[in-house]
Amino acid sequence: MNALVPGSLDSCSEDWFPDEVARLLARVTRPGRYTGGEFNLRLKPGASPRIVLSYPDVYEIGISNPGLQILYAHLNDATPAAAERAYCPWPDMAALMRARDVPLWTLETMEPVAGCDLWGFTLPHELTYTNVLEMLDLADVPLHAAGRGEGDPIVLGGGPAVADPWPLAPFFDAFFIGEVEHRLDEIVEALAAPSRAVRLQALAAVPGMWLPGLSEGPAQRQVFTAFSSTPPVLRPLVPVLEAVHDRAIVEVMRGCTAGCRFCQAGMWYRPVRERPVELVVAAAEQLLGETGCDEVSLLSLSSCDYSGVQEALTSIRALRPGVRVSLPSLRIDSAAESLGRFAADQRGSVTLAPEAGTQELRDAINKGVDDAQFEEAVRATFAGGFTGLKLYFMIGLPGETDADVAGIARMAGTAARLAKQIARGRARLSVAVSSYVPKAHTPFQLEPFAGAAVLRHRQQLLRDAMPRNVRVSFHDVAASLVEATLARGGPGSHRLVEEAWRRGARFDGWSEHFHFPLWEGAAAAAGIELGAADLHSEKTLPWESAVAAGVTRAFLSEERARGARGELTEDCRDGRCATCGVCGGGVEMDVLP
Amino acid sequence: MSWWLLTFSRGGPAAYLSHLDTARAVQRTFARAGVPIALSQGMRPKPRISLPLPLPVGAVGCEELAVVEVPDDLPGPAAALRELRASAPPGLTPLSIVVSGEQHPRPQAREASYACVLEGDAGAVRAAVERYATEVSVVRERQSPKGRRTLDLKEYVVHAAAEPAPGGTRLSFAIRYRDDGAARPQEFIDLIATWAGVEPVMCGLERRRVTWKGMPPGPSPAAGRSVSP
Repeated sequence: MNALVPGSLDSCSEDWFPDEVARLLARVTRPGRYTGGEFNLRLKPGASPRIVLSYPDVYEIGISNPGLQILYAHLNDATPAAAERAYCPWPDMAALMRARDVPLWTLETMEPVAGCDLWGFTLPHELTYTNVLEMLDLADVPLHAAGRGEGDPIVLGGGPAVADPWPLAPFFDAFFIGEVEHRLDEIVEALAAPSRAVRLQALAAVPGMWLPGLSEGPAQRQVFTAFSSTPPVLRPLVPVLEAVHDRAIVEVMRGCTAGCRFCQAGMWYRPVRERPVELVVAAAEQLLGETGCDEVSLLSLSSCDYSGVQEALTSIRALRPGVRVSLPSLRIDSAAESLGRFAADQRGSVTLAPEAGTQELRDAINKGVDDAQFEEAVRATFAGGFTGLKLYFMIGLPGETDADVAGIARMAGTAARLAKQIARGRARLSVAVSSYVPKAHTPFQLEPFAGAAVLRHRQQLLRDAMPRNVRVSFHDVAASLVEATLARGGPGSHRLVEEAWRRGARFDGWSEHFHFPLWEGAAAAAGIELGAADLHSEKTLPWESAVAAGVTRAFLSEERARGARGELTEDCRDGRCATCGVCGGGVEMDVLP
Repeated sequence: MSWWLLTFSRGGPAAYLSHLDTARAVQRTFARAGVPIALSQGMRPKPRISLPLPLPVGAVGCEELAVVEVPDDLPGPAAALRELRASAPPGLTPLSIVVSGEQHPRPQAREASYACVLEGDAGAVRAAVERYATEVSVVRERQSPKGRRTLDLKEYVVHAAAEPAPGGTRLSFAIRYRDDGAARPQEFIDLIATWAGVEPVMCGLERRRVTWKGMPPGPSPAAGRSVSP
């Protein structure tokens, strides 16, 4: 026996965590959620201002958000500020923190969040809103901006959900509307002012900033025009705890002008901007070294529309032969070609999103995909050796009929038949069906939400019509009802969020935590009808009083009318300008030659 | 190909990782350091790395072991160790590398010493430890997905002691690993806590040292620790 026993090895423990935190960590599930310790962690002791970045969901979700990584890297590496992070504690930890009176801390320094100068939230979707209140409360920061004083942080919201900031307006001191990369230096400078009031005034002067009750008009959505010439994050945080995404990410393109009429991201992130292939390949090479990942994802809203996709795939594979390269989103009309680009060793599953079951409805939503293209894409999937296919549809779209829903089952049947023919029983086929929620700043922003009864009826139609060998999953209708209420809420809609939180609503995006009766009770108490949008005046919609998204009302109205007529609008990068209103004043489409 | 035995410590934030997360963190440290790990054969090649003795979530490990297969054409282990230290995440510190050769080493733990702090009545914890020393047999039942099993803690847990410490009582003990398995640290801590009437939640569980069977000759982890990261 060769024993490796050191002569006198004393304790190797060090005091990394305050005692009160260590005691909590010993009592909760997955304590690694609360300790940081990622690869590429930044520590800037003594730096000022101190900014905390938050994503209002559990760590494993939040750490995978690329937007927060951009802010974290830029603030720490390119400004005098120290950026730290906090995510929403899981209910077991939240209960212990309250019981032991331990306020929310940051993963970098273990210091209380409440002591920071600025607390920035990335707001991804409506079902995280109660988590924002939960985090404010756990941090001992007054829930309402009006109740905050000199020693409290300025609470700033950003991200895609600020397209309609009203449901959260009273809880935030300010919202930043749009892409913030080029405004971070100005925000940091504003925080140097001597008092809270002056800091808020300075922030109000930053383009894109909307301060509830202080701003006189809507904030213009900001577009990061230097996107194409700026490298992506090259030294991202890499979690040591298993997260939902575990791969290096290169954002190759921002924006999408395919013009799907239901899609908020397609309207919100206009215009299209592409990064040069050399920049993408160099970034992938460095990222793989910095992260230790064996997969790189070329990220965008529609990566196969990226002009340099073929060259980038080829170059990255040539540089790093063993590395997998993935495209997170495939368009059906070009899927067959895209799937052919993958090497033989990159097998897995493919997701295709026809969105609607009939040609008429697909034309109405401007998803110009026909049945032949769909069949070709499914054939390419199975012939290419991919072992899984997931089809993504929505129900409750404007103008939808039961016949359109039956069309979904027909398409699934076609895919099942091809799977059997080509993959000979080796392939898995699943269908995910979500409920359409009309969103602000889209052509369908004035359309009514389909309603719970209609959605449940159509879910049942689909269950009955779906082939037996296809696995189908549905979004919870009740959760969609809440989402629909908050997606187009006006002034006063915050009462629903606050009431639901006070009644115990948390992690509403998690089916095991979503309790509809809490929301029903909250809606009754707040006097708000669930599922109804605040459309009292079509002249100025509530979200338009806070946010100027760039796309004009005239364009959105015209697109809505074209949808009703079943007319397609072509992608402006391939054809004529659709005069959406985004370009101009230094903002232009920036695609590769 | 040759096999390396990497000794490392796990503390701070890394102490709160699961066994699989720890293995992934070590693997990723190799990748970031540019030290390739050999891949297994077959349809889905996997890196040839294993951590032979899992450490409980929340526990500090002073000299943990990873067994790794690497290509022959690598620079020496000293250079690799430097790169690994520079590439490791906070709390995970590579200490030493022993080159084992072409034969796959299969080190087996024989005994590991643990320590932790239990909150509550220090006298009661001491009394519980004294009681354990006098018992001939302490049989406990373990329920796992594999079924129900009984084990006598006295056959596995030795050298138990209690001493005053800040915040409570420091409980130290050693676990013997036998061919038929071993007790888990939490099982012994639960026993003492139950007998003492204190909460079975401890702070700062620490695995201080491990003795191994089947370990090739080479520098000890202590020697590795003497090199500053």
